[in-house]
Amino acid sequence: MNWHSFFFLLFAAISCGFAVMVVLSSNIVRMAFYLIVSLGATAGLFFLAGADFVAAMQLMIYVGGTLVLLVFGVMLTAQSPFVSMKTSGGDWILAFLLSGSLLAFLIPAAFSVSDWREGATPAVGSVDAPPPRNTADRLGLGLLGVRVDKLEDRPAMLRAGMAGYLLPFEIVSVHLLVVLVGAAYLARTKRRAG
Amino acid sequence: MDLLSQSVGVSHFMVVGAIMFVSGVVCMATKRNALGVLMGIELVLNGANVNFVALSSEFLTKDTGGGIGLDGQLIALFVIVLAAAEAAVALAIVLNFYNNHATIDVDRADELKG
Amino acid sequence: MEDLHTVLPFLLGLAWLLPLASFTLIVLFGPRMGAHGVAASYLATGAIGSGFLLSVVALLAWGLSSPDRNAAMSQPAALEGHGEHADASGLDQQGLDHHGGGHHAVTPPRAYSGEWYTLGRFGKLKITIGYYIDALTIGMFAMVTLIATCIHFYAIGYMHDELHDVTDHEVTLSDGQHLRRPGRFHRFFQYMSLFCFSMLGLVIAGNIAMVFVFWELVGICSYFLIGFYIERKSASNAANKAFIVNRVGDFGMIIGLMALFASLGTFAFGDGVDDKGKPTAGIFSQVRAPANHYALQAPASMVRAAAAARVRAIVADHFQEDAEELDEAHLAAPAKPARKRPDFDKIQAASESEIAAEIADWREQGYGYWLLVIAGVGIFCGCVGKSAQFPLHVWLPDAMEGPTPVSALVHSATMVAAGVYLVGRFYPVFAPEVLLVIAYTGAITLLLAATIALTATDIKRVLAYSTVSQLGYMMLALGVGGWAAGMFHLITHAFFKSLLFLCSGSVIHACHTNEMPKMGGLLKKMPITGYTMLVGCLAIMGAGVPFLIGLSGYYSKDSIIAQAISFQQRNPAHGTVFFYAAAGGAAMTAFYMFRLWYMTFLGPPRDHHIHEHAHESPTIMYAPLIVLAVFAAVIGWPVFGVTDLLEQARPAGETGQGVLLASLAYPNEHDSHAPNIHMQATLYAFSTALGGFLLATVFYGVRWLNPNDVRQQFGAVYRFLLNKWYFDELYDAVFVRPARGLAKVIASFDRLGIDRLIDNLARWTRGLAGIDDLIDRYLVDGAVNLTAGWTYSLGRSLRSVQTGKLRQYVMLIVIGTVALTILINFASAK
Repeated sequence: MNWHSFFFLLFAAISCGFAVMVVLSSNIVRMAFYLIVSLGATAGLFFLAGADFVAAMQLMIYVGGTLVLLVFGVMLTAQSPFVSMKTSGGDWILAFLLSGSLLAFLIPAAFSVSDWREGATPAVGSVDAPPPRNTADRLGLGLLGVRVDKLEDRPAMLRAGMAGYLLPFEIVSVHLLVVLVGAAYLARTKRRAG
Repeated sequence: MDLLSQSVGVSHFMVVGAIMFVSGVVCMATKRNALGVLMGIELVLNGANVNFVALSSEFLTKDTGGGIGLDGQLIALFVIVLAAAEAAVALAIVLNFYNNHATIDVDRADELKG
Repeated sequence: MEDLHTVLPFLLGLAWLLPLASFTLIVLFGPRMGAHGVAASYLATGAIGSGFLLSVVALLAWGLSSPDRNAAMSQPAALEGHGEHADASGLDQQGLDHHGGGHHAVTPPRAYSGEWYTLGRFGKLKITIGYYIDALTIGMFAMVTLIATCIHFYAIGYMHDELHDVTDHEVTLSDGQHLRRPGRFHRFFQYMSLFCFSMLGLVIAGNIAMVFVFWELVGICSYFLIGFYIERKSASNAANKAFIVNRVGDFGMIIGLMALFASLGTFAFGDGVDDKGKPTAGIFSQVRAPANHYALQAPASMVRAAAAARVRAIVADHFQEDAEELDEAHLAAPAKPARKRPDFDKIQAASESEIAAEIADWREQGYGYWLLVIAGVGIFCGCVGKSAQFPLHVWLPDAMEGPTPVSALVHSATMVAAGVYLVGRFYPVFAPEVLLVIAYTGAITLLLAATIALTATDIKRVLAYSTVSQLGYMMLALGVGGWAAGMFHLITHAFFKSLLFLCSGSVIHACHTNEMPKMGGLLKKMPITGYTMLVGCLAIMGAGVPFLIGLSGYYSKDSIIAQAISFQQRNPAHGTVFFYAAAGGAAMTAFYMFRLWYMTFLGPPRDHHIHEHAHESPTIMYAPLIVLAVFAAVIGWPVFGVTDLLEQARPAGETGQGVLLASLAYPNEHDSHAPNIHMQATLYAFSTALGGFLLATVFYGVRWLNPNDVRQQFGAVYRFLLNKWYFDELYDAVFVRPARGLAKVIASFDRLGIDRLIDNLARWTRGLAGIDDLIDRYLVDGAVNLTAGWTYSLGRSLRSVQTGKLRQYVMLIVIGTVALTILINFASAK
């Protein structure tokens, strides 16, 4: 029993299943809830992949921020009685055709690379497994411009002192500022004429 | 069970990611509720994130030195941030739309037709 | 005065150009000169008056410098006595004059010729503005400027009507009113100045081309002046008639010009130097070479031109010889012949030398003579037109439509004299046959005009026909060999005819009518006019005391009749005709002139209204009459030396013997001075003049006989003469009607043929344009519209893709992405 595999299956089932239920559900509130669960399970998947910081961020920002925002949106745009907006059957069929073909393409593609079929270390989750590394430090330093994760193998193309993610970091911060201002403006209260 | 004892590789994660991605696409394409579309978008982005994280994980990839290492996680972080920003703006738009049209049915948002 | 050759051209050239300056100034500033342009007349008169003074200075310069004149002055009786000349009147057969002395023209006349300006050179043709000044030129200058000055003064008074608005009673407008127009005072003097410039230019001209140019210029001035009262149909018709009839004569003149130029190669009268300094011979020197004693002889170039066929034959012969030599050379040495091409230089040299040797023979055979005759007759044709000789005399009586000063200056003294002047100037070139033609023309004209004048009632018409008749006289004189006689008569006639015209103008001005039957008894009312006109009539009649003294006409008519008698002695057949014509003409002249005078000035007034209002003219009008009367009286007197002056210009050489008409022999003019001939002439002239005078007095002076009886008895003759021998009707039927008919035919061809064609072409073009329009509208526009329609519908159909439905967009994106991914995968997998 590979606990890693077990938990993987568990989280995978939850996230995929609830994602599918998001699609199939017609009640917007239920969709929101299913989405929260799905994304939470995704965070679990992240943990399993060793990206603990990302998983934590997923839970905090994505689930706890974005989806809450979505829920707020649901609440603000609630219509009484809830008008059921159903899609027609034709759209479903087309959507499933597309999704089916895409899946049929992606899944074999996922399994096509031999390196990806197996995990790196056997029996992850056993006691012999090395302790999970602290990625937060390395991510943070990377954001500041110092890539300490590739100290052992410096690609020849890159300069000494590897390229970090300082610039994207700054760009994203500005982007967030813009979004903040933009969203605030867009959603402002408009004075109604008369 | 074979399933349980099989070691989990990147491919499995990618399958999950694919399923999430596809469901997000279907959700975007079929939902008439604007917020439903937004949720579809979140799902899509998540699916992509799963892929990124899987490829960067040292537990999953045979760490032969050619992988993307921490880049994947950083990219996933950025995606999360951007998804949040985009969701905020999209929500603002939807709220505006709701304020003007008193409905969030995207099928009603067809005034920009030719 | 050794530098006469610069002074004379300067003086005469300046006198010539002053009227041109006056013309230009009046053209530019006429209406603004003084009140209503009155100062224009002062300017014109001043210009021509200055011209007269310059001519007098030139005359004095000539006279003081002339050796012949000094010799002549010391022998005042030379002309009257002619004793020594009469002795040696036995002329030898060639007609060469062996008499010595400067009068006899074995030496050429003293003349200064030169060029002022070259207008253009076209190969051999050189057109220049040049002068040929001899005694004749100076005499003509003095005469023309003096008469023109007097007439200008007269015209200032006569044309004063034009200083304000004029009501022309002879022009009726469509609404029955008489025409009322602004005055044209300055215009008159503008044309007069232009005319003086043209006439003087003609006189001074040094080459025949320049003569022709000024010939036409005087013609156009005459046109302007005759048609001065242009609103009158009669005046404009008369102007047209004058110009057109002149043009008919000019046609012959151009032929003569061409003949001369083609054969002689030059237009100039006198000798000159060409650009390289080589002396060139003028026309006179070429036809009468000094080496040939100035006898008329077709020059080598003319002979050669006439014998062109022979020349070609000679050249062809030489070519043939050369060709044969060439062939021999080829046969002798086929590979390398001595020469391959004909030797053109040798051929030319040999031909030229043979031709030069043959020229004399050809001339003997008569080559070139016809060309000479034709040249002469051609030039004379121009004179026929200009001097109103038969058959082109019809324009001069109608030219009386112009104002009287115009008639006096242009149509009596100067322009019509230009023809006679040209005959005199061209005398050396005329062959005896040509002179005979001239004489016959003159004789016919003389009689014709005199008979018509017998019955004319318009005072100016009588004078016009008198002018034509006197011009015939001059032509007759020139034609029988009397060069000096003809020129002398030209000068005297100018004076008394202009005097007569001015007097008639004075009468017309007073009576406001031209018709003599309405006049009568005007002598007491207009004494000065009457007596000056009497002087004029006596002068034209040739009145005088025989063998003693006479008025100017006496001397000139005398010399003409003397020459006619001399000619008759040599050529009885022709000479008889000429003599009787001259004598008859003299009689008729006296008759009709005194008829005119008696009808106008004596007898009871026939129209009391006119008689009441008649008055003497203002001073400015009768003063020139007095001046001209004095000249008409005395200009012929030997003391004034007009004949001496003319003698200095006598052309060199004898007229000699005719070639085509071998019996024709021209006597030397000096033979007419022989006492017996001179006495005969005087008697005949006097008796005929007296006869005419007495007849006129009987009919019109004392009125013992009634002219009406004569008219009724000779009714047909009277009508014939009254209708001017029906010449106008004849010309109308022969020339005008056919021309009109031809014009009608051509006009109808134009209207029916050409216009129809053009109209049809236009119609077809319009049809074509209509088709084009259809094509444009339906095809071209249709294509464009169709394209636009397709684009629109394409856009419309594409627009339907934009449904605005978000989900569809998403769906499409997904489909696209999926398809792309699959494609790329499969593409890269392969």
